[in-house]
Amino acid sequence: MLPGIWTSYALFLAVLIPLAAVGQVFGSLIRIIWKVVLPFAVSVFLIQGFLWTGGTPILHLGPISLKQEGLEFALTSSGRILIVVGTFIWFTLTTRPDTLMTSLAQRGFPAKLAYTIVATIQIVPRFQARAAAILDAQRARGLETEGSFRKRVKAIVPLVVPLILSSLVDVEERALAIEARGFSHPGVKTSLVEIPEAGWEKFARWTLLLAAAAMIGFRVWFEFSR
Amino acid sequence: MIRLDRVTYTYPGTSKPALRDVSLLIPEGQFCAVIGPNNAGKSTLAYAMAGFIPHFYRGALAGSVTVDGKDMRQTPLHELVLSVGLIMQNPFNQVSGTKFTVREEIAFGLENLGVPREKMVERVEEAMALVGIGDLAGRSPLALSGGQMQRVAIAAILAMQPKVLVLDEPTSQLDPIGSKEVFSVVSALVAERKTTVVMIEHKLEWVAEFADRVVALKGGEIIADGEAGRVLGEDPRVIEAVGQTRYSKAGLRARQEGLWPAGGRLPVTLEEAVEGFQEVRRMTEGGGRRMGID
Repeated sequence: MLPGIWTSYALFLAVLIPLAAVGQVFGSLIRIIWKVVLPFAVSVFLIQGFLWTGGTPILHLGPISLKQEGLEFALTSSGRILIVVGTFIWFTLTTRPDTLMTSLAQRGFPAKLAYTIVATIQIVPRFQARAAAILDAQRARGLETEGSFRKRVKAIVPLVVPLILSSLVDVEERALAIEARGFSHPGVKTSLVEIPEAGWEKFARWTLLLAAAAMIGFRVWFEFSR
Repeated sequence: MIRLDRVTYTYPGTSKPALRDVSLLIPEGQFCAVIGPNNAGKSTLAYAMAGFIPHFYRGALAGSVTVDGKDMRQTPLHELVLSVGLIMQNPFNQVSGTKFTVREEIAFGLENLGVPREKMVERVEEAMALVGIGDLAGRSPLALSGGQMQRVAIAAILAMQPKVLVLDEPTSQLDPIGSKEVFSVVSALVAERKTTVVMIEHKLEWVAEFADRVVALKGGEIIADGEAGRVLGEDPRVIEAVGQTRYSKAGLRARQEGLWPAGGRLPVTLEEAVEGFQEVRRMTEGGGRRMGID
């Protein structure tokens, strides 16, 4: 009754890949998934495959052995992560954050919360650039960021502290700047960009919402009926 | 337009006031520059004029601040932003971070105020034309140069049509071309729209050229207030606090060399220096002693 090992992979290939192709983000999606999901999948396969308690050994490597049940578990977990992370990446690659914010706010979502979510997504590249600049600046001052494990751990504090402090200063300035632009103004907010919505989009949204609710309901029922 | 009456302000968690007994009256349509060394209280003065003190920074505020007839204590910040616009140092921190084009970025404030779309389009286009960034309308606000980004920040505030513009070191992170762009836009606003401008600035040559009035702060107190030539020329307290323009330095050296009238006012702008030296040449050709030049 529950999804099998390959269900997530089938969903990925049959639904997410065509959607990425339609959204013209296939290349970007695969690149990001490769970087994000692959390290996780490898570690899950190694840990679950070799450290599974009991189970059926299928390969012996000296004192340790690869277990079939561990591999199955790793495959299932990696598949689920692939579909969850993949869907989220596809969503961020195909949806403009400002459109998302406006849509959310227009549907009654608190404007401040919508802003926080979107600004957080948008700030990531800036945060990365700042981290790189601090790394370069500290290296120029003689900080050793490579070498032994001890040296690397010692380098964390001089890198993380300026990053956090400067980001806090930025947050204060940014808060001032958006307040200066009437962010706390009460009443209905308007939008320069008109967000068109075809009838089928509304239908799709409600169908997905109902499908999600039905799946949660089924899962709860299944757990309790065992 | 702006009235500060015996304003003393201390930030939360500190004991030393950042502003001490400051009184100031800035009439409508004046371009007032505020100069001073670090920790003089310049930014604090800007925040007080824009209502961020006491609404954003709590602390202890004594005295009163009135802008466009609105008492800062009694008026909520979201209402004050309709009268006063604040532009800050870092252009990168002034973009909303949620918009994809310059046009949409400029509309952010209007969206918050609930301005109808047709009106918003009109005001955005007008603000862009005013600061000369029409050609940037479709570009990402995050992919601009510092000077362009600062002009976008100014346009975004101007679209909200405030009567007063407070700029806190808007050129500190800009190159000379970017600085000139900002000063030109601001002085055009004063000349053409009668906008009241308070600009905190370190670049004394620009201040001398563009500002109607200069207020010098030190240790949270006003140490000089008046026309640029008078404040920046020879006031020893101002010279000690912020230095002189390169033209005043040249005039002073010329005076020491006997090439400038002993009692003559030192120049603060390039034009004043050129005019002064031309005058000196005419006078020396016609008998320098009449001007007190040996």
